[in-house]
Amino acid sequence: MNKIAYTAFIAFVASVLTLVSVSALSGADRDAAADEALGPITLEELAEHDNAESCWKAIHGRVYDITDYVPRHPTDEAVILEWCGRESTAGWDNKRPGVPHSPRAATLLEDYLIGRLVDERGEPELAANPAVESPDDGVSRAQSPAADERLHRAMLGLPQDGHYRGVFIDRGVIQVNVTFDLRDGRFESIDYRHLAYRDVDYLTLAEGDDLHPVRVQHEQIAERLVGEPVTAIFALYEPERVVDDIDGFSGATLRGAKVISAIRDGLNRGVYSWP
Amino acid sequence: MRRYPKPGDIALVVALLVPLVVALPRLGWPGAEGAGAWLGWIGRTTGILGLAMLLLAAAVSIRLPGMDRWFGGLARLWHLHHWLGFGAFILVMIHALALGLAAVSLSLEVAVVTLFPPLSHAAVWFGWLAWLAMVIFLAPTFDFFGRPHYQRWKRLHLVSAAALVLGLGHALLLAGETALWWLLGLAGLAAIAWRKLVSPRVARHAYRIETVTPLARGVVELVLAPEGKGIEHEAGQFVYLTPLDETLTAGHGEEHPYTIASAPGDARLRIGIKDLGDASHALLGVTPGTRVLVEGPYGEFYGRRFPERDRLWLGGGIGITPFVGGAREIAERGLAGGRVHLVYLANGPDRAYYLDELEAIGARVEGFTVTPHFYRELGPLTEAFLREHCSDFTEREIYLCGPPAMNAFLKRLLADQGIPASRLHSEVFDFL
Repeated sequence: MNKIAYTAFIAFVASVLTLVSVSALSGADRDAAADEALGPITLEELAEHDNAESCWKAIHGRVYDITDYVPRHPTDEAVILEWCGRESTAGWDNKRPGVPHSPRAATLLEDYLIGRLVDERGEPELAANPAVESPDDGVSRAQSPAADERLHRAMLGLPQDGHYRGVFIDRGVIQVNVTFDLRDGRFESIDYRHLAYRDVDYLTLAEGDDLHPVRVQHEQIAERLVGEPVTAIFALYEPERVVDDIDGFSGATLRGAKVISAIRDGLNRGVYSWP
Repeated sequence: MRRYPKPGDIALVVALLVPLVVALPRLGWPGAEGAGAWLGWIGRTTGILGLAMLLLAAAVSIRLPGMDRWFGGLARLWHLHHWLGFGAFILVMIHALALGLAAVSLSLEVAVVTLFPPLSHAAVWFGWLAWLAMVIFLAPTFDFFGRPHYQRWKRLHLVSAAALVLGLGHALLLAGETALWWLLGLAGLAAIAWRKLVSPRVARHAYRIETVTPLARGVVELVLAPEGKGIEHEAGQFVYLTPLDETLTAGHGEEHPYTIASAPGDARLRIGIKDLGDASHALLGVTPGTRVLVEGPYGEFYGRRFPERDRLWLGGGIGITPFVGGAREIAERGLAGGRVHLVYLANGPDRAYYLDELEAIGARVEGFTVTPHFYRELGPLTEAFLREHCSDFTEREIYLCGPPAMNAFLKRLLADQGIPASRLHSEVFDFL
């Protein structure tokens, strides 16, 4: 009896180790397929496969063709067929109320993966994510402070992503009026809504006009700040660092500080409209 | 003729099979669905049977005096307990392996995830921990790495309670039917709680050691007087004895089984003790007047007795004690039923303790005969010696008690005479 118990113990441990190591060796190259590599499938396409002959299901944003598995599912077929052609995350997460399918089942499910669920525009179908679409509240839920990037930027005093407008005014007259968009703390675009000095509206100047180079210089500022971090505006204290040839123009003076001031005015005002 | 199965055996088989029978409709029948389905089915049934065995092994360890007789005595009950534990250990390993292999038909990865899911999937990990606890407490039982000291083995065996709780958690989280598991689980845990926590306080009887009578080198008889209500026993039964003498060099406060040598009607409890281990060695020098705790009685050495039939008793070494108890009962109450012939196997006259008393009873009681057989003079017992002194020995009910080697030798000798095993009675409590 003792020998049998010992032999069985060793055989068991050896068998389990064999299983694990064979699996590790053969499955090393198999990673969860990246979503981008999966073909897009819309809810309309999904809905066409709603029967035992062809049963597709969307679970957590991915689409699975489980037609071949249906006969092997341990419950009555009706239970599993009920979800064919539908967004089935709720069914998956509630094998019994509150009890999700096992990791074993999850591993098995990946064998039937055929695509990712998208909306008409080809964007990932958010409805697939029950955290976003919850039937009981139409209002989007408060995000966790651990995941709310806007909150993070605000807490560190960093500018939020969004659309801004700002002006530089001197002696009651607007000289510079800019609009710009920020994304991830960088300029996405900069435009002048107004650029004037001593009754000259620079935005109306054409090539050949005396002061046209000043307009060009300002446009270069806008062009060259795009893609740069917001902090790059302080380079304009020495505009020659940003624009091509500050002295090449006849008598024109570029006041980079005015642009800095207008942009800082925009930042102080805060987001004009959210992206 | 043996009266098997015992009522306890039937109850045990029923309790063992009920969880499986209840679960079978849910498990279905794999039929022609292929090897994977069969392995899955085997994995589930072995899991159910294995856990039932583990819980029942615990339940029968309760050791209530008298209850052991439903199973044919405590020695036999411990064998059942041992087999149940063995069965549980083997079955849970088949259970895990079969479920893992069943999933290989899906993919190797599924097989591994089946056995080793993410930690959040606690049910399966409870199962693994239960198995690990079983390895810890069964490895010394099944002698994986040598046999440990008796008391250390006993303490390690308590890990079984952890295995029980973990195994139960594993099943309750996964099983379809939980009521039965609760029932069996509570029975098992209650048995352990009774054995380890309650019975040491309520089930032990206090005795005081009156005298320590030396019988031979390394052999004494303890004469115990009950302080309150003592135990009631039959001839040939045994007790667990816990000495409280603090001057003992070993075994203080530890319980060990010893056979009762006194007759049932004796107001004193007499126990023959031979120096066979640390605790019994120390007990030879126990201080008279100190207290011992006695739990029992257990066993039914003479329980399968057929009083109308003639009997042959073969006793040797300290194995003579149940026969001393039997002879003293005969001396008090006379022979009930058939004649008794006791053959006392000893190395020589100096090792034949109790012999004078036994021969005196033999001289006084008609139908009770005592024949000593000395190894140093005659060599091993032979069929001729038996036939010479007890010519009808092949017709008698034969009771054996002695060292394991002697028992094995005698069983072979008697089997060679065509005596069926059902007519041989012995009760060995090795490592109880």
